[in-house]
Parts: sequence; structure tokens; C-alpha cells
Amino acid sequence: MTRYRVSHVTTYCYGEPVTVSHNVLHLAPINTPRQRVESFTLNITPAPAVQHQRVDYFGNRVDFFTVQDQHTELIVRAESVLEVEPAFALDARITEAWEVVRDHLFHPNGDEEVRASEFRYDSPLVPTGPDYAAYALVSFTPNRPLLDAALDLVRRIHVDFIYDPKATAVTTTVPEVFVKRRGVCQDFAHVGIACLRSIGLASRYISGYLETAPPPGQIKLVGVDASHAWLSLWCPGIGWVGLDPTNDCLASHRHLIVAVGRDFTDISPTKGVILGGGTHEVSAVVDVARI
Amino acid sequence: MDLPNTLDLSTAPVVRGAYDELREGAGLRPHWQALDGCLHRLGAQGMALRYEQARRLIRENGVTYNVYGDASGLDRPWQLDPLPLMLPAAEWDVLARGISQRARLLDAVIADVYGPQRLLKEGHLDPAMIYAHPAFLRSCHGIVPPGGRWLHVYAADVMRGADGTWRVLSDRTQAPAGAGYALENRIVLSRSFSDGYRQCGVQRLAGFFIAMRRTLSNLAAGLRIRRDNPRIVLLTPGPYNETYFEHAYLARYLGYTLVEGGDLTVRDDQVFLKTLGGLHRVDVIVRRLDDNFCDSLELLNESTLGVAGLAAVARAGNVVIANALGSAVGENAALMPILPQLCRLLQGEELSLPSVETIWGGNDAEGLRKRFDDLVIRPAFGSVRAAACLGGELKGPERESILTRLRLSPHLLVGQRALAPSITPVWSEGNFAARSLVMRVFAVATDDGFQVMPGGLARIATENQPWAVSFQRGGGSKDVWVLSDGPVAPVTLLRPSGAPVEFKRGGIDLPSRVADHLYWLGRYCARADDAARVLRAALTRLAGDQDAGVDQGLQAAVRVLKHQGVLRKPAEDGATLEAQLLDLLFSDTNSASLRSVVGRLHYAAFSSRDRLSYDTWRIVNHLEQDLRPEVKPERAVDALPLLDRLVLDFAALAGMATENTTRGPGWRFLDLGRRLERATFTAELVRAALVPRLDDSVLDTVLEIADSAITYRARYLLSLQVPPVIDLLLCDGTNPRAMAFQLERVAEHVGYLPRAAQALPTPAERLALGAHTWVRLVDPQELSREDESGERSHLAHVLDHLSSDLTLLSDTVTTQYLSHATTTRQPSVGPGE
Repeated sequence: MTRYRVSHVTTYCYGEPVTVSHNVLHLAPINTPRQRVESFTLNITPAPAVQHQRVDYFGNRVDFFTVQDQHTELIVRAESVLEVEPAFALDARITEAWEVVRDHLFHPNGDEEVRASEFRYDSPLVPTGPDYAAYALVSFTPNRPLLDAALDLVRRIHVDFIYDPKATAVTTTVPEVFVKRRGVCQDFAHVGIACLRSIGLASRYISGYLETAPPPGQIKLVGVDASHAWLSLWCPGIGWVGLDPTNDCLASHRHLIVAVGRDFTDISPTKGVILGGGTHEVSAVVDVARI
Repeated sequence: MDLPNTLDLSTAPVVRGAYDELREGAGLRPHWQALDGCLHRLGAQGMALRYEQARRLIRENGVTYNVYGDASGLDRPWQLDPLPLMLPAAEWDVLARGISQRARLLDAVIADVYGPQRLLKEGHLDPAMIYAHPAFLRSCHGIVPPGGRWLHVYAADVMRGADGTWRVLSDRTQAPAGAGYALENRIVLSRSFSDGYRQCGVQRLAGFFIAMRRTLSNLAAGLRIRRDNPRIVLLTPGPYNETYFEHAYLARYLGYTLVEGGDLTVRDDQVFLKTLGGLHRVDVIVRRLDDNFCDSLELLNESTLGVAGLAAVARAGNVVIANALGSAVGENAALMPILPQLCRLLQGEELSLPSVETIWGGNDAEGLRKRFDDLVIRPAFGSVRAAACLGGELKGPERESILTRLRLSPHLLVGQRALAPSITPVWSEGNFAARSLVMRVFAVATDDGFQVMPGGLARIATENQPWAVSFQRGGGSKDVWVLSDGPVAPVTLLRPSGAPVEFKRGGIDLPSRVADHLYWLGRYCARADDAARVLRAALTRLAGDQDAGVDQGLQAAVRVLKHQGVLRKPAEDGATLEAQLLDLLFSDTNSASLRSVVGRLHYAAFSSRDRLSYDTWRIVNHLEQDLRPEVKPERAVDALPLLDRLVLDFAALAGMATENTTRGPGWRFLDLGRRLERATFTAELVRAALVPRLDDSVLDTVLEIADSAITYRARYLLSLQVPPVIDLLLCDGTNPRAMAFQLERVAEHVGYLPRAAQALPTPAERLALGAHTWVRLVDPQELSREDESGERSHLAHVLDHLSSDLTLLSDTVTTQYLSHATTTRQPSVGPGE
């Protein structure tokens, strides 16, 4: 059992005054079988005129707020304390043949399968198509165990795609990334999801944090962390298995889950529309600390 | 035209292999006989006359349908066939019951999808039917709209095959278009063909719209925060939308405010309309905007057409949105094959109106593949606007791409049986022709089920392809006359109901965006008028005397154009100058040409058309017609009649504004625009003609351009002198073309504009009063004095001051009342950045 304190501070600076600012946040971590949220606090300056929270369609907590006082700076501080259990050891080779799972998802039976099948269709940022299917099928050879094939796919994405924060932006589409073979964790997650869905499997987008280890012999610096994104795959009998193409691994107890959705658009950590503002700058500082 | 003077419907062409709306065996169907009798009496010439009349009404009322990517610009005249489609009451009642049942059924399905999802959990719906639908909006799940109602208006496209049975081709559940066009068709046809309309005993359409108003008001009354006088708005994507005409038309007919997304704003979990008088709460939004575009915060992020935060207001239960957000999920051809089962399950009855036979790839990909060539292949979900065609007609890469899609994502496609639609007579070039037809039928929710509009919008194909019947591809429309069994009760929305009304005057409800358009409409009207007068003065002189270098009057007019920056390098010789001036009338590339100014005038009028009278529209449409590029004259002398006509049209527009417009804030902005523009122009005119020392013969031209020649002559007879001209054009408050007159009006208008309660004058008032006082106090003699170089530098100095005050005044009014801060997306930080 590992305990973490995560702080995520987003600061917006505007060239001209903003009169109204509507925002939707996906910053509060969810509870999962392996993750328990002890506390979550949200601090917004200037104080919002309207603020409420709800549980969204995918089971995430959403915070909604509106600032109606004129302002030139907006700070959103989110702090959570959570406990994570280590992942079970999984033997990828004993999972079902992937085609069996695909066929199940095509004609889902029972509430759980029906709900899983929702994640095998196109979503706003993740299209499916023959190109992604062809890329996936190199790993998904006939009768190969599902998770074994998926880990191979994740490994190939890790090898074939170059991590390059300058290559893409939040709005970059999957087809672009697929051609450029460059991007960041969000892009790699989207590519992985597109590949899995294109061959009829169900895959979700996960937004969260990754605890980063300091280089050997050094003390970890505060603020070097960032929010992270990976994907999960529906494996009958096990449930959703987290896969991290950026780091070529299964999601571990160091992957802290904030929210799950079909793609980034469902669970963007912060999203807003403002009136006024002129040119603006934004920065986010994330810190994940073991306590 | 040489036309036979009798008309006989039985001579209409016969088409085999399709249901004939007109005939049964050898004779006419009984419900066409009354119409046939009228046509007999009317004769072909009478019919041709009525047809022309209908076309004129459509043109003058500005009924248009925008076609995306059409080079001819924003609007294309609406096509209406003068022959209605006749349907008997008994047959209609069966169809209407089917439509009403279907609307109820789809409403129930949508309610379940956005609520408990029992249909999915129990396996009645294939998950792909919902999960793969791009319009299934996850963020709207769990919202229960007021009254538990998702569909307020429903429409279906129906047709009948050879067996005569009506079948549904597609369902419209989010923002059905066409009811307004159906109404306009009815108004045009009942007017141009009034005798036939009366004699046939046709059921009225107004009841449908009355029911719509009642439903929306009732729902508003059910809101958490109740008000006696709910504010209802019609939300349009704007003038570039294909059916913008209809949005403006319906808004005016129903008495709702026409708004664009930018006119609305969300505060405190409520929606407000931004008006000149401040923010006003909105209770009901009738939307003509697609689901996804309605809220840039929670729905489609890229949308700039919607209202940020609208979904949250809906979630809080503080607004009625008709139809509810997310209802587009009912535009779902995948549902068609299972509607009979769903109807039994949810309504406990048989589906009475069948769909066209449909195969959904998600259920029967194999069947779809086998019959691919014979089926109309369409996307299963959402917009039927997307191309649909026979599988067999698909060739090459297009076919390959659809077949690949069928292999990888079969659930995205449906195939529909290609039926030959029924045939109806149409009036074509003085004769009867036969065309196939598809009809859109509308239903509105009421407390006792859905009420169907008795009539509809029939669309006729240019070719015999039902799946190609689309306004985007051409083809015309028809009114649908449903005959009444008994006497027709006269119902109309235009008649006041018995309930007592609250008296209203003025109105500060004007959205700032509309005020902005009216302000510019005023400016462009004056600008176009002034430009026409200058050009007329110049061309008259050119037409009379080809020696352009000598005529001082011509030179004065040309100097005005040069001063305004309209004509940068006037030619020296007459012929080239003539070509330049004619170009200033018609040029598309010169933004100062009269045609360009009228184009902008038209746009400003178009964007505020729900505020303008039909007659005003008629004039605006004339202007456009008069400046069609194809009528461009070659010589100055040929342009003069046109300019005379235009000057009269501009005068008519000004007259409409003075005599036929209520003195509300809308009129104030219209007139403010006109006055500021005219004042600016007058300063330019005086500067160009009177600051340099020119021959006194220029005074004649100046007076003519400023339409003040008669006044001058009456006062001073033939003695042309500078000081009285300056007095008449600048200082004389009794001359409606003088600077002083404009400024007096401007000062009055800005004094009336809404303001925070305070006694001190606003900055705009200070400027206007200052400038007005100044022109009244200057001494025309003083201004006429020349300095050593021969220029009237004192006059120049005064004009400089006035011009800069006018610019400042315009900017001040714009910033204070008309500026729209634009919404932008908050920048976001992606993971890993």
C-alpha cells in the first residue's frame, strides 16, 4: 500500500481582463478497486460565483465553476491524498484469444459486457480505420492471447513513435500523429486506442499522474512531474487492464488514475470558455509525493 | 406565349410503375376534382399569370434557401410549384396518426437513452445503435428536460411506393427545418391562387403553430423559476445557414426574438439575452443549431455558434431547450428495422406507419453486402444531408472506401430499398409535367400527444430519384392541401386571442447584435445614396461634355470621390474616366463601389431582417436586382436612368425608416447610422469642393449632390456664392441635408440611448452636443475667407475638427453599445507538457 499526495496547480494569465469564465475540471481522482481517495480539495482564485460538482457519465467526478468577477489571473489548485495497492501479477499468456473477445464485444451479453462495448467505437478524437487495423494486426496474430498481443502492440508504439513535446498540441489529431510518428503520452494513448478499436476491441483513455523516480543518488525535485495519460484494455475475467505505451509497461501502483473516458475530450483536466482575455498564458505545475 | 386557353388535369403526363397521386384508373381521383374545376375556369393564361404572381411574391418577400458553395452568393430564390399536392382528409388522418405515434415512440426511446437505458440493458437495442451514434452526447446523460419531454417538434420525410402506402424515409428529431417554408408556401399560394384555395376547402396550418406556442409557454411555466411572461428566443446559427430565411420568418411569425449564440450568455446557472438595456433572462430556446454546437464548454469545443455553459443550465433545469440537447440520437436509421418491436414494447400497440425497408449493417452486414448494388446506401447515424446513392452507382475508389467501411464498421451503414416514389403533376413552362415527390410532415408536442400539421412541405425531384430529392441539389417545393371534411374554421396566429394582453411600448429588448446591424444598415443606406448622387452628378456631366478637363462641376465630383479614397487615380481623359466611374457602380473588387456598398447594405438588412418590414425588404431586393453585373451599362448616358432609379429607391428606404418604423432603440440606431454617415459625407463634400479655390461653377454641382439646389435657388435666385452655400450645407438646421441637421438628430438619439442612471451626459452626448453647437455658431462669412495661398484654411480647420469628432462619436457609441466581447477557449495544458 502506497500513499501519495498530489498537487496540481494551473495558472492562467490574461493580457486583458476576463469578465466571465466558465470551467469544467476533471481533477479529482476516482476510486477504483486498487485506488482509494482519502481527500480532495479544490481552491480557486478569484472565488467563483457558481461552483458545483457531479459524477459524469463515465463515473468521474467533474467540478464546474464560473467566475463572474473581472480578473486577469485565475489559479486552480487541486490537492488529493490517495492510497494505491500494488497491481496483481498478470500472466498475459493465459488470457483468451483476442478474436473471442472481439466477437463477444460485437454481440455483448450482460450489463458489464454491454458497458465495455461502448469503448470499441469511434470517439471525437479517436477515429478507427484500416490503417490502424493493419498496424494492430502485426501484433494481433491469429489466436494470440489478448493481453500478450496488446503488450506487443504497446511495445511497438513505444519503439516506433518518438517522444517529442514540440511535435504536437492538445488538439493534434490521431491521423496526424500516426503519420508523424511523434508526440507525447496523450498521442500515444490515442494511437493505441485507435489500433485496438479498429480491430473490434474495447479501449479507454485514462488521465492521471505518474510518480517519477529521481535519478539514482539524487533527491526528487518538486514540480518535475506532469499529468500523464495512458490507456486501458477490456480483458474479460480481469476487467480493464492499464497499458502505458509511453513507458512500455503495464500500469503499476505508480500510475495514479484521475479519470477515464473515451478520449481526451471526455476528461480534459481543465477546460474553459472565457469572455475577453486577449492574449493569454497558462502553466500547470504537478507534484506527486509519497507520504 | 401562345397557350391553349383551357386547362385539364387529365392531360397531365402518365408515368408507369409509380403511384399516381392524380389518377385512379382512367379518371381523376375525387380529391383533385375541385382543383381541376378551378384550373378549367382559370385557363392556361390565368395559370401563367398566377405563377408569375407567386414568383414575384417569393422574390419580394425574399424567400431564400442558401446553398453552400453557391457562387451566386448567400441566397437563392425559393422554388414553389403553383400546383398544390391534394390529399383527402380520410387518408391524411391515417398518415397523421402514424406520424404522431412515431414521434411519441422516438421521444420515449430518446428519454430512455438519456435516462435509465433500460432498452440497452435488456437487449432491446443493440449497443452500437446508441454508443456508435456521434450525437449520443454523454454529457447530456442524466439531464431530465422540463416536463420530461425531449422532442417538441418532430418531422419525418415520407414517400409512397407503387402500392400507395406512405413510408418513412428518415426521421428528424433535433431541429427539423421546413415548417416555416411550408407556412410561407401556403401564404404565397393562398394569395396568388386565392379562388382555388377557397373553393377547395383546405385545412389551415395556423393551428400547428398555435399549439407550438402553447406547448413552449406551458413548459416555461413549469421551470423552477417561474415567470408570467416567459422570454422565448429562436437560436439560429446565423445568416450563412442554409435555412436562415426560415429562422427569421418563424421568429417573426411566432413573436420570438431571433438570436445568435453570441447574443446569449450564461450567468448564475441561467441563460441571459444581451440587450441594449442589459441582461434579460431567457426561459425557452427554440434551437435551429445542431446539438453538438450548442455549448462550447461541454459539447463540441470548436463551436463558436453556441452558448458556453448551456448544458449546465439545462442540467440545473433553468431553461427549456426545444428540442432537448442530445435528441439527435433519434435521427437513427439503425432503429428503423426494430421500430415495430419497440412500438409494441413501449406503446403497447402496432406501429402504424412503416419505414422504408431498411437493412442495418450492425445487424445484417451480410444481407447489406449481398444486396449492396440494389440498395440506397446511407450513413446509419445523423445527417441525411450526407450523400446517399444506389450502391450499384458507386464506382472506383468511392465504392472501395464504402465497402471497406462495411467490412470494418458495418454498424455505420444502412441500405434502404430503392422505391419509385409517387408521381404528381407540376406546372412547368406553361404545361403540366410529372415529377416524383417526397413530403416532410411535422408534429408538435401537446398535452395530449403530438399534433400533426395538416399539410407539409412537399419536395419534387428534378429527376426521378427519391433519394436525390434535396434542396441542396435543386428541385422545387409544393404546398400540400389537405382537404377538410367539414367547413374550415378560420384560425390564424395573426389574430389576437381573447386573453387580455399587457400593453407594451418602446422596447429595450433589442439584442446588441441587432442594434449593430441596424446601425450599419443606416450607414450603408446613406453611403449608397451619397455615392449614387456623386456618380450621377459626374456621369451627367460626362455624358453631356466629353472634354473632362474643362468642366469644373465634373472636377468637383471627381475630387469628392478622390477625397473619399474611392477613386485613387482619376483619369485625365473623358473616355477612361467614364470607364472608371462605371466601374465604381458595378465593381466586385472595389469595396467602395456602389454594388459593394449595396451588398453590405443587403447583408446588414439580411442579418436584422426579422426587424424589418416586408416592404423594406422589397426595396432592398430591388436594389440588388438593379445592380446585377449582367446589366452593367457601357456608356455614361445609359447609366443615368439606373442611377435615377437607385436614388428613388434610397429615398424610399429612408421614407420607410421615417414613416413606417416605431421609434424604439432599433430605429434610433438605424437613424444614428444614417446621420453620422451623412454628416461625414457632407464634411467631405464641402472639403473637396470648397476648400481649394475653384471656379464658382462647382457650387452648382455641390448643391446638386447635396440635394439642396432648389432651396438655394428659392432663397438666392441665380446668384451663386460661397457663403450662402456654406450656410446651407453646414449651419442651416432647417435643411435636412445640412451638417447641423444631422448633428441635431445625432444629439437627440444618443440622449435617448439606455444608460446607467446618472444625471451627467455620457461621452457620446458630450461629443454630439459639442459638435452641434459648434456648427450652429460658426460664421459662414468667416469660413468663406481665403488665405494668401487662395485656400479656405479656416474652413478646412473646422471640417477637420468635425470629422475627427464624428469618428470619435462613432467609436464611442460602438464601444459603449455595440461591441461584442468574443468568447474564446481557455487554453489548456495537455498531459506530458
